[in-house]
Amino acid sequence: MTAQSELPLSAETPVLSTDDERERSAYRRQEIFFWAPIVALGLIALICFLGPLVLPILAPIGGSISNANLAVFAPGHLLGTDPAGNDNLAKVLYGGRVSLEVGFATVGIGLLVGGGFGALAGFRSGWTDLVISRLFDALLSFPALVLAIVIATYLGPSELHVIYAISFFSIPAVGRLARANTLRIRSATFFAASRIAGANEWTILRRHVAPNILPNLLTFSFLSVSVSIIAEAALSFLGLGVPPPNPSWGNMLALGEQYLDLRPVLLFIPAVAIFLTILSLNLAGDALRARWAE
Amino acid sequence: MVQAVPVVWLVSFITFALMNLLPGGSSGTALQLLGENATPSAIKALNIKLHLNEPFFTRYVHWIGGLFSGHLGNSVATGQSVAGILAERLPVTLELGLVSLVLSVVFSLLSAVVAAHQRGRIVDRANIAVSMLGLSVPNFVFALILVFVFAVKLHWLPSSGFTSISAGLGQNIRGMILPSLSIAFGLTCGYNRVLRADLVDQLVGADYVMLARSKGISERRILFGHALRNAAFGFLTLVGLNLGTIIGGVVLIEEIFSLPGIGQELVQSITYHDTLVVESVVVILAVTVIAANFMTDMVYSLLDPRIRYDRSE
Repeated sequence: MTAQSELPLSAETPVLSTDDERERSAYRRQEIFFWAPIVALGLIALICFLGPLVLPILAPIGGSISNANLAVFAPGHLLGTDPAGNDNLAKVLYGGRVSLEVGFATVGIGLLVGGGFGALAGFRSGWTDLVISRLFDALLSFPALVLAIVIATYLGPSELHVIYAISFFSIPAVGRLARANTLRIRSATFFAASRIAGANEWTILRRHVAPNILPNLLTFSFLSVSVSIIAEAALSFLGLGVPPPNPSWGNMLALGEQYLDLRPVLLFIPAVAIFLTILSLNLAGDALRARWAE
Repeated sequence: MVQAVPVVWLVSFITFALMNLLPGGSSGTALQLLGENATPSAIKALNIKLHLNEPFFTRYVHWIGGLFSGHLGNSVATGQSVAGILAERLPVTLELGLVSLVLSVVFSLLSAVVAAHQRGRIVDRANIAVSMLGLSVPNFVFALILVFVFAVKLHWLPSSGFTSISAGLGQNIRGMILPSLSIAFGLTCGYNRVLRADLVDQLVGADYVMLARSKGISERRILFGHALRNAAFGFLTLVGLNLGTIIGGVVLIEEIFSLPGIGQELVQSITYHDTLVVESVVVILAVTVIAANFMTDMVYSLLDPRIRYDRSE
């Protein structure tokens, strides 16, 4: 009995296994492409936020002028020091905190405020929709950076104000998407069913609209974190963001521009940090989008 | 068109409100101009002269009236008329924007067509990788790196400054190369990704391509005559909607290369709290974006009959 039942199986097994293997290795490659950027991003965040707590990282400000302009790999200063004697490694890590905080905070605000109003506009239609949509249109008509520059200047340089300034364009961007997605589910049968069943507005928004539009909004938000991080760097570069001596990647770039001919490394350190962060965010965003589109 | 009117109005109102109601807005103008040691009476006198003592809505109506009648007022810091400033500075920004736009469209068309033709091969893969890497470098960081390589190290091109076309075309072009490349590079990477994906979609999946192939039409003609024409719609929309990004990006690039354009003016006026100039510049930029989006819509419906018929129904 057993020999008979094993025979056809063993004959087919080799065929199955090559197919299987090809599929499995394709799957594995896909998984690597999906997880690698997310892991990289996690590592960047971990080093920036936990690094200074666990590793022997110096303070990013208050360096001594006798330590000024040390080269890369100088003893005690892995990435050297800047013209004020501050440790470049410490600066880039603390600057990364600012970038990530601003990036995720602005997108979080965009998701909450923009998503809320956008869903409400799509849900209610009529006057509410008209007013909210036109407001989103108007905010999106400002060249994004210009509006942020105006707001950041008038509020004065600080990290919180940069977050407000950049939220002004993350809110309408998420909002418009939330509205469009809500309009799409309005025509669904379950939507009509819950209305007929007498569910109130809040219940429908919470139970039906939110879970249906969130995947799309989250993917979009994730992709726009990089936009926010670039905007923060731009504002700080212009001197409108985090006020020096507190480090941010943007004001490190500005310092690098000043010393471009003498110490180009001051430009390259923040440039590489921004590049790696944006690259992992872009790759992770692409991977998320591809996964959710399936 | 009708939709654009309330948006333009809202844009002007938001700008004016931000400039006047935020702390440090127009209330700080007098202090900024007269310095920290200004006497309260001097501040009061200047505020009256600039009409800053009047209520918010009176000033808004006054300003809007000025916008429509063409009287944009004078800069508080330099006394120059706002219209004069714009006339002097807009050409620089327009040149930079236009050159960047043309460069990015040409580069992305070329690279996307080649990549789509060679899809799946090494050229295509390299193109995808370069685009991804390019999209991860903000344009002002790329600008700084270009300055370091081509101006500081190689001394091939000037690191900053602007020569008008009338003062010397050669100098003008030399000064424009690095700034326009800085803006065009990122845009090229973005456009190229979208156009290549669209082209490949058409070439692999579309029925009309299969029909064309079975008729024996050459692959080149399918690519240029069929696939590219269809992919052009998405491409054009993307380019049109991105005009705002170019305008926004110009601000930083003009700062880095000391180009006397509208972006540099904006940053200068903001630091001097020159409210009138900032308001006018911001509104003009925003209206440009609205106009660009509107024109994109128009061109799109002109090119694609499906959309035209949808609307008329």
